[in-house]
Amino acid sequence: MTRIGFAGMTHLGLVSGVSASEKGFGVVCYDPDAARIAAIGGRRLPVSEPRLEELAAKNAPRLRFTANAADLAACDVIYVAPDVPTDDHGGSDLGPIDRLLAAVFDAARPDATVVLLSQVPPGFTRSKQREGRTLYYQVETLVFGRAVQRALEPERYIVGCADPSRPLPPAYRAFLGAHSCPVLPMRYESAELAKISINMFLVASVSTANTLAGVCEKIGADWAEIVPSLRLDRRIGQHAYLNAGLGISGGNLERDLGTVMALSREHGADAELVRAFLESSEHRKDWPLRKLHATVLRETDSPTIAVLGLAYKEDTHSTKNSPAIALIRALGPWPIRVYDPVVKADAVPHPRATFGVSALDAVRGVDALALMTPWTEFRALRCGELARAMRGRTVIDPYRLLDANAAADAGLRVHSLGAA
Amino acid sequence: MLQHLYDKPQPPSRAVVVGAGGFVGSSIVRQLRAAGVEVAPLSRKEVDLLAQGAARRLGSLLQSDDAVVFVSAIAPAKTPAELIANLRMAEVASEAFAAVPPAHLLYISSDAVYADEANPVTERSPLAPSTLHGVMHAAREAIFRGTCKGPLAFLRPTLIYGADDPHSGYGPNRFRRQAAKGEPISIFGEGEEKRDHVVVEDVARLAVRILMHRSSGALNAVTGVATSFHDIALLVARQFAPRARVASVARPGPRPHLLHRFFDITECHKAFPDFRFETLVQGIARVHAEATGAATISRPA
Repeated sequence: MTRIGFAGMTHLGLVSGVSASEKGFGVVCYDPDAARIAAIGGRRLPVSEPRLEELAAKNAPRLRFTANAADLAACDVIYVAPDVPTDDHGGSDLGPIDRLLAAVFDAARPDATVVLLSQVPPGFTRSKQREGRTLYYQVETLVFGRAVQRALEPERYIVGCADPSRPLPPAYRAFLGAHSCPVLPMRYESAELAKISINMFLVASVSTANTLAGVCEKIGADWAEIVPSLRLDRRIGQHAYLNAGLGISGGNLERDLGTVMALSREHGADAELVRAFLESSEHRKDWPLRKLHATVLRETDSPTIAVLGLAYKEDTHSTKNSPAIALIRALGPWPIRVYDPVVKADAVPHPRATFGVSALDAVRGVDALALMTPWTEFRALRCGELARAMRGRTVIDPYRLLDANAAADAGLRVHSLGAA
Repeated sequence: MLQHLYDKPQPPSRAVVVGAGGFVGSSIVRQLRAAGVEVAPLSRKEVDLLAQGAARRLGSLLQSDDAVVFVSAIAPAKTPAELIANLRMAEVASEAFAAVPPAHLLYISSDAVYADEANPVTERSPLAPSTLHGVMHAAREAIFRGTCKGPLAFLRPTLIYGADDPHSGYGPNRFRRQAAKGEPISIFGEGEEKRDHVVVEDVARLAVRILMHRSSGALNAVTGVATSFHDIALLVARQFAPRARVASVARPGPRPHLLHRFFDITECHKAFPDFRFETLVQGIARVHAEATGAATISRPA
């Protein structure tokens, strides 16, 4: 039976390891941090993803968590999959990959296949080849909040190879084959850029949608009415990223934009478009702040604002470049009430923030409410209850979580993206 | 964007305003004094920046812990000679600041430093001036950026109006003067160009805040609301009884390609969250009352 190893038990490695066990493979999950391994072994997972805990418990007999790199010697294929930290400007810290890759090379059997799964800039994988070792780069397409589903049902595998004309090693082929999707071998550099290309197209869709939603707000059109017509266009498609949002966040897309900018600087390629994407993202991220100033903050002397949702999107604990955090930072002079179903209070960068025990608790007595993360539980909020709990009537609801008719009946003044 | 050295406002030991005799400079002096800051106003009387030995003279008037507001300019700079003279004034100031480095320097620049087609304009918009006036301010910013080693801020106002404005540029000030003389308020074409107008007191209040926080970086002094000249003319006309007439006149040349200019004032919201601009409606009414000696209309705090 093919045994798969995963090195680096942060988001990518943990989700990938647990998903591999669900496919029936024996899996060794390694991380040099013994405390992290002990926590995971004790079922205290460091990340929140739908089905992750359930599958980890279900497949426990096939999953082995270890802080001893030597245990990877049992594996036929070893993925090196630490999360790559990014800074506020999209720069990557590749140090953790370097260290983990070196540890894996030292521990792996000579016939084992080593696969780099973390996202790296073009040129990185080729520079890490080692004599007598078989190294591949595989594109990860982790999406926060849908990571397990995407690991179990990938659309395709993009595999970067030293020589794409040579067949993949049998054990690696067997693992990929268990997922019944196309496998696309290509040279390292193409695969590394393919990952960036995918993200750039997503950014282009998001930026276009946000730009047009902004135009809608000025001219009395409604972006929600336009979106279905775009989805029916085959050139755009049913699954295109067309919903208006608050710019780019989460860190991964920003990193890829940063990589393209860096490649442009180094090689003289045109990247003006990337600059425009970044500028557009900055502009849209501050949309809730502008709305609050245009409504409550210019009229009320000592307002209290409720911010529901801190994560940069639903079903994740991540607040990386979160619009909610950006908004909270700009509300310094005023008291705020905060609630998020997953993110803890210590993530709130505000001296006068108090954390509600529920969404409804957080909105009691506030002058305005900003629904900053489209968590499912916020969609269930009843407008009548909100109106009774709040002192003011202004609701910033970028993602249209509330029912517009019910909100109007309750006397709430709702402001949403893409609508005048 | 602006970075504050002091999160909580803290007055400078003394504020020197170079160009204190002008429309904007005198307003800054008044607002600084109202905020309890010791002010040393310098006008051309105290130091003529184009005179021989001006750098030495200016340096002799500075103290090492001064916050300096540099607002002196021959404005608008329309000719090459005016451009050169303005740059010479900045050069002189730089020499003085090199001899006695200010604890904080605030340069009052202009939104003319931005490209005409930038819309909406933010502090991140590229500096690409299309006029000599814009080139002058962009070059002066570069001069001070190159020579000032301490905290340095640029405040970039858009079209300014106010009771004491000596200029009669197209906009609220000219419209009020035309109406006061019993003439019709004349707008070019239909006056459809939308622009942002900021009252001089708000520019001065922002300057005071920047000094109080010892901020670095750039901030646009703009309200974020663009209003057509047609609507501005009507607002001014309503201040008079009987209401002044608004007349369309032929444009003196082809309509400028810069038809509208909008600003995104998010950076101002972030730098000074509780700052509120006086609206054009309030500002035009208050300025009219002040100019005509009517009872003072109090402005928002």
